[in-house]
Parts: sequence; C-alpha cells; structure tokens
Amino acid sequence: MSIQSCVTIINEWDIVAARQLGRNVAKELGFGIVDQARITTAISELARNIFLYAGKGQICIDKLNEGGKVGLAINATDNGPGISDIRQVMEDGFSTSGGLGAGLPGVKRLMDQFDIESSPGDGTKIKATKWLR
Amino acid sequence: MRIPILKLYNCLLVSIQWELDDQTALQFQEDLLHKIHETGANGVVIDLTSIDFIDSFIAKVLGDVINMSNLMGVKVVITGIQPAVAITLIELGIGLDNVLTALDLEKGLEKLQQELGE
Amino acid sequence: MNKLIYGFIEENKLDILNEWIETTKDNADDRVLRVVSDQVFTSTSREFVDLIISNIKGTKEDYTSRLTDFAEKVVRLGWPLTFVTKGLHTFGEIVFEKMEKSELVTKDNQMEVIREFGAWMTPMNNEIVSVYSTTWEKTVSLQKIALQELSAPLIPVFEKITVMPLVGTIDTERAKQIMENLLKGVVKHRSEVVLIDITGVPVVDTMVAHHIIQAADAVRLIGAKCIICGIRPEIAQTIVSLGIDLNQLTTQNSLQKGIETALELTDRKIIVMEGAK
Repeated sequence: MSIQSCVTIINEWDIVAARQLGRNVAKELGFGIVDQARITTAISELARNIFLYAGKGQICIDKLNEGGKVGLAINATDNGPGISDIRQVMEDGFSTSGGLGAGLPGVKRLMDQFDIESSPGDGTKIKATKWLR
Repeated sequence: MRIPILKLYNCLLVSIQWELDDQTALQFQEDLLHKIHETGANGVVIDLTSIDFIDSFIAKVLGDVINMSNLMGVKVVITGIQPAVAITLIELGIGLDNVLTALDLEKGLEKLQQELGE
Repeated sequence: MNKLIYGFIEENKLDILNEWIETTKDNADDRVLRVVSDQVFTSTSREFVDLIISNIKGTKEDYTSRLTDFAEKVVRLGWPLTFVTKGLHTFGEIVFEKMEKSELVTKDNQMEVIREFGAWMTPMNNEIVSVYSTTWEKTVSLQKIALQELSAPLIPVFEKITVMPLVGTIDTERAKQIMENLLKGVVKHRSEVVLIDITGVPVVDTMVAHHIIQAADAVRLIGAKCIICGIRPEIAQTIVSLGIDLNQLTTQNSLQKGIETALELTDRKIIVMEGAK
C-alpha cells in the first residue's frame, strides 16, 4: 500500500519544494526530528543531482505501509544522460561537479534502503527508503 | 531575500533564520566577503540555531565562505548547529574539519574573543 | 452431528482425559515436565476438556473469551507452543479413535465427522497460536523499550561537564540512539565537554569504533568537546587501524583521567584542601 505525491524538478526552487514536501510527509508519518532531517537532506541531494546532471526529472514521495511497517520512499527519476559507472559514483569523495562528493553514498547512509538503476542514455532511477522505527 | 549581516565592535554577526535555497546561500557568500572587506572586521559568528537541515551544497558554500574568510585573515565561529543537523552532516560524510564551533551565540562570541586575543 | 462428537466427549470425559494425559506426558520432553507440576498438568488438562465441552453449552462469545483466557493461562505457565498444539492434535486423535472403536463413526458419516472435527479443532488451534504470538510480540516490544531506556543515560557531573557511560553491545540501531541522546543532552545541559565512557562495552570492533568516532565528530559540530574514555589496548589498535585522524579526537584510558582532562579544558582542577582534617 502506498500513497504518492510528486514534484517536478526543473529549476533550483523545485529543490526547495521537493524537500518541503518530504519534510511534511515525514512529519505526518511520525518520524522524529533527526529522521526528518535525514529524509529532507536525502531529498535535497537527489533533487540537486537531477537539477545538475539531468536538467529535468521528478521526485516522488511514497507513504509506505507494508505489513504494519510504516515508511517513506523517495523516488528520483530522470531521463538524463545516466550513469556509466555506478560503482564509481557510490564511492565516497567522487564528484564531477566540484561539490563535496558526499551525494549518493551520503544518501545511502542517511536512508535504510537504497536502490539505483541507471545506464548511459537511459536516465537514472533511484529509490531510497526509510522505515519508521 | 538577503541574509542580514550585523556589525558588533570588531565582529560580524550573522543569524540565518530561514531555510537556505541555493541562490540565497551564494548571495550570502558574496555579501559576507564584501562586508568583511568593507568593515575590516576580524571575526565572524554565524548562528544556525534556526536551521533544521543542511545538505552537501549548503555545507560546501558554508565551508567555502569560512575558508575564504580565513584567507582574508578573519576567524569564523559557527554556532547553534542542531543535533539533527550534526547527525545528518556526519552521516553524509561532511565533517566540516577545522571549523570552529560553539553551542550558542554567547559562547561563540566568547570563543571568538579567545581566538582573537591569542 | 455436532451433538454426536460433543455428546461422546462429555460421556467419556474421564476416559479421554486419562488417556490424553498419559499420551501427552509420554511425548513431552523434559523441558515441559520441569516447568509443569503433575497437579497443574492434570488440572489444566481438565480445564481444557471442560472448555471444549462448554463449546456446546455456552454461547459463542462466551466460548471465545474462555478460550482466550485459557490460552493466556497456558502461555503464562510457560508451556512451549509446540507442546500445546501437539497436545490439541493428540486430543483430537484420541477422540476420533475412541469414536471409531465405539462404532460411532461409520463409512457413511466418516467424511462428515472429519469435516466436523476440522471445524472444531481449527479455531482452537488458531486462537492458541494467535494468543501466543501476541504475547511474544508484547514481550519483545517491552524488552525493546527497556533496552532503549537502558541505552544511553547522560549524567551531568560538573557544570559544563557531562558523562555518558556506555554498557553492553552496540549495534547500528543503538549507535544511532546514542548519538541522538548525546547531542540532545549536550544542548540541553549546555555542556562544554562530554565524556563517553566505553569501559563497559565488551567488544569494540571497527563498526563500533566508527560509530563512536562519528558521535565525537557530531559533538564537535554542535560546539562542544568530546573525550572518549576507557580506551583499552585492543581498542587503541582498532582506532589506529581505522586510520582515524587522532588530532580531532581526545581520548583517555580511564574515566578518572577523562574527568581531569575535562576540568582542565574548562579551566578548573581538583585540589587537596590544606589543613583539612
């Protein structure tokens, strides 16, 4: 069972909109302050990746309820250039944008589950889930 | 919206009160450096008490502005980082090494005076 | 049809009961016999048969509530679930066999009797299993809460100085809890120095060391200093092999030395009063 709400990422302001949406959903589901910050930050990282590398994409927030376990899933999808070496981008410190290189591995550490699907030319699909403790 | 930068004796005081978007953060970077140049201040306290999340971009802007200020001979103390923010930063792998921190504005100013006095 | 089975049980109550007690006792392992005395075993078994019979007489609601009570009682007695379900099964078998012997079950009605048996046994089985699992879930969640409370107490020992003693094994979940408590406590008590004492942590592997160091790092971010106390030789080895920058980390081998360092950091020290008796 899941309920979804989405934000389309086209410009920088949409990053703010996406993380506000995420924070509200997280609050609503009963996540604590620290988890709210984790979720908001993860959304911000993923939305920024879309904005920087793909130009356009979507962030969708799912409310999950699986067998009594409540959770929140962030789905980040874009039709951008894709990632040729997933292992490389999941390494700490790897960055093509001159940022801190904390992006994807950081998101993985902030969330409980992290799945990435991507191939060059086909865009990128990332799903990151946090369960309510 | 711009972030107000106040001057207090030889220090600059910045309190960030709302969620930073990318433009505001970059604007702030520029404004602060100009203000340092203009006033000849030798210390800056940036208070983040009201900020409830920092992502890698904002962390980078902050880290950069601190390094830039240091280059201009100015010490910067960050105060009031919330526990939740500290945890997410550490989990993201951002340590903000070599950054001076203090619990709140008051202790931040004390620390700054100590650093400048020595 | 119902009446056929229940009537039979009621009539042969004692017989069935005795045989059942014999069989289950033979099958029960030591574990059960140790927790259950003979008397309790017999009386509980009798209650069980009465319960089954009440199924015919009482209303359905009455039966359900009695069944729940009984299941709860069995759980409290500490009977293993396998033993109870097996006992239920044996009970059915005995009744069926006896009915067969008394020629109550014939070729014509045997299918019907079997179906009737199923309808009679299944809800009972389900109820017992569900009561068992609810009780376990309750226990587990209570233990979880107890563990959380135990997780990470924060003790202000002097003005500006707080101690967090850690005891027991640290897993990822607990490490996160510790970090949250630590940071919230530092802000709440306005501590300048916080000591994490890991004397009571039996195993400090790279994962635990990593978490503790992360906590120390986070403490630095919010504007306090962190001293890690209780560093045993093997922990020192782990930390060095992790390649951690020791300049960022203050450590001490005992809590006592840690507190001395903390006092120093806050420009204080403990002195012996001269002339004191």
